[in-house]
Amino acid sequence: MTDIQADFARPLAVARAPAAGRQRGPFTVQPWLYLAPALCLLMMWTYVPLVEAFQLSFYQWNMLPTSPQRYVGLTNYQRLFALPEMRAALWNTLFYILGLFPMSVIIPLFVAIWTQDLEGRARTIYRALIFVPMIVAPVVAAILWRWLLNEDQGLITLGLETIGLGRIGFLTDPNYALATLTWITGWKLIGFSTLLFSAANAGINASYIEAARIDGASRWGIIRDIRLPLLSPTILLLSMMTILFGAQWSFAYINVLTNGGPLKSTTNIFYLLWEYGFQTMSAGWSSAAGMIAFAGFAVVAAACMWLTKRFAVYDN
Amino acid sequence: MTIDVSPDLASLATAGPKAGHARRLAVHAVMIVLSFLSIFPIYWMIVTSLRPENEIFSTSLWPSNPSLENYVFVLTRIPMIGMLINTTIVSAATALLQVVTGLFAAYALVRWRMRLSGVIHGLIALSWLVPFQVTMIPNYVLASRLGLLDTLTGLIVPNAAHAFAILLLYNAMRSFPTEILEAARIDGTRSWKILWQIVVPNMGAPIASLSIIAFISAWNEYFWPLLLSRKPENSVVQIGLQMFMTQEGNLWGPLMAAATLASLPILIIYLVLQRHVIESFMKSGIR
Repeated sequence: MTDIQADFARPLAVARAPAAGRQRGPFTVQPWLYLAPALCLLMMWTYVPLVEAFQLSFYQWNMLPTSPQRYVGLTNYQRLFALPEMRAALWNTLFYILGLFPMSVIIPLFVAIWTQDLEGRARTIYRALIFVPMIVAPVVAAILWRWLLNEDQGLITLGLETIGLGRIGFLTDPNYALATLTWITGWKLIGFSTLLFSAANAGINASYIEAARIDGASRWGIIRDIRLPLLSPTILLLSMMTILFGAQWSFAYINVLTNGGPLKSTTNIFYLLWEYGFQTMSAGWSSAAGMIAFAGFAVVAAACMWLTKRFAVYDN
Repeated sequence: MTIDVSPDLASLATAGPKAGHARRLAVHAVMIVLSFLSIFPIYWMIVTSLRPENEIFSTSLWPSNPSLENYVFVLTRIPMIGMLINTTIVSAATALLQVVTGLFAAYALVRWRMRLSGVIHGLIALSWLVPFQVTMIPNYVLASRLGLLDTLTGLIVPNAAHAFAILLLYNAMRSFPTEILEAARIDGTRSWKILWQIVVPNMGAPIASLSIIAFISAWNEYFWPLLLSRKPENSVVQIGLQMFMTQEGNLWGPLMAAATLASLPILIIYLVLQRHVIESFMKSGIR
């Protein structure tokens, strides 16, 4: 599950300053009873498994309960770093994330600014329509696009042929497959991101714009000097989501549509983890690759949080 | 400027009526393109599902002889109804449990001031950043040890508590006036009673948002069911869809009918609660 809260960067900061009016008393058991269900579940299904995965990354094991786990030290990590597969998967992960940016951040940002005057009924209808892909199941989205892009009879293939561009193996040609999967991942996000930017943009205090206009600022000047800085929290939030979760979002499409192929061209790091774990049954490799991915993304997450604190402009 | 015109009207006035008109057209054009991109694939899915077999490759916008034969085919070929019921059970139970565990945990963090509350808060928030693919093998081993493979319980339990749910309810609960809690406590009301009689009735909006998001994302969940499921009749509709595609990948009519059936409940929820669904996702985020 990949999800994120709109004010992602804040909850952590908030924890340090609890609301006033509560006393620090002697130890009471009651709060722990209320916390128990959630904490037990998180321990059982997230933290203990995380530690176990860390341990497994030093072992060789084929996932059969009857067969022994053999300690191999750092061999799994050494092997992984030597594997060309792993390097290709890491590059592909980067391509997925970079490819998502236009659809999750850049286009929505400019569409939101460009269409800010829309009002009334038209606005409501557009809103309702562009949100829909967000709630479509990834498997359904995969099937929809598989049909539209089908190499023999897909509507888009037929369309391209009519205008003389010939047939493109969107999902079978290694040059196009990754771009196609990125597009499908982005298709689900583009409308939602636009709505988030629109809401943030509508929240900008109109008197700033008015003042700038009176000072003779141009339309672009207003966007560059007022709107973009005030939209920076949303820009950073969506960028962070794209970086942290983009590669995870594409998992279902890879699994349903290409299985990582053709020629491994669509395998990303998360798909590789799954392949090692449940296709080739090498729990040690999968766990080691998982640890590498986890450490990498943790560093990126920390960097993103820092960037948000440093560069986001809040209008107080 | 002495008159109070809205900035956009002012810019339209200076640019002349023609330029304003052109701009408005361009704005609509952008939104129409975006709306079309968003909705057309779904429209095409429904249209294809209604085409009889001999018309399946037609490119007309509406089938000349709409028929339900594809749906009949799907319903006789795979246990679609059973899987839809399973998915409903899993999604409703997941949403309910996330609300309950979330309420408890949030209440504990808001009502008591504990030495460790910062650590607990951090633990909850950080669990969100652990990619499921990293913990999947131990999770799978645990599920199989507990006998949860190929069961609905196995699909529900690991998702019964979620950082997102706890933090959403925590943030909502923090804005609840502490004086009221304080007063109730001084009156000697038990914390359990305060939770259910004072806090929960005032948390309608966030609970509704959370339920909507949790239900929809549980409905669309693919990865964990993929690991746990063996037989389609014990599984959820996403897995059924994937299996059907692997077996009958080029029977486009039935495949689209199956995809339509799998999305119908969510689309109906969206049609009925449209504004609430959009608002919930916008306020609370992405899943």
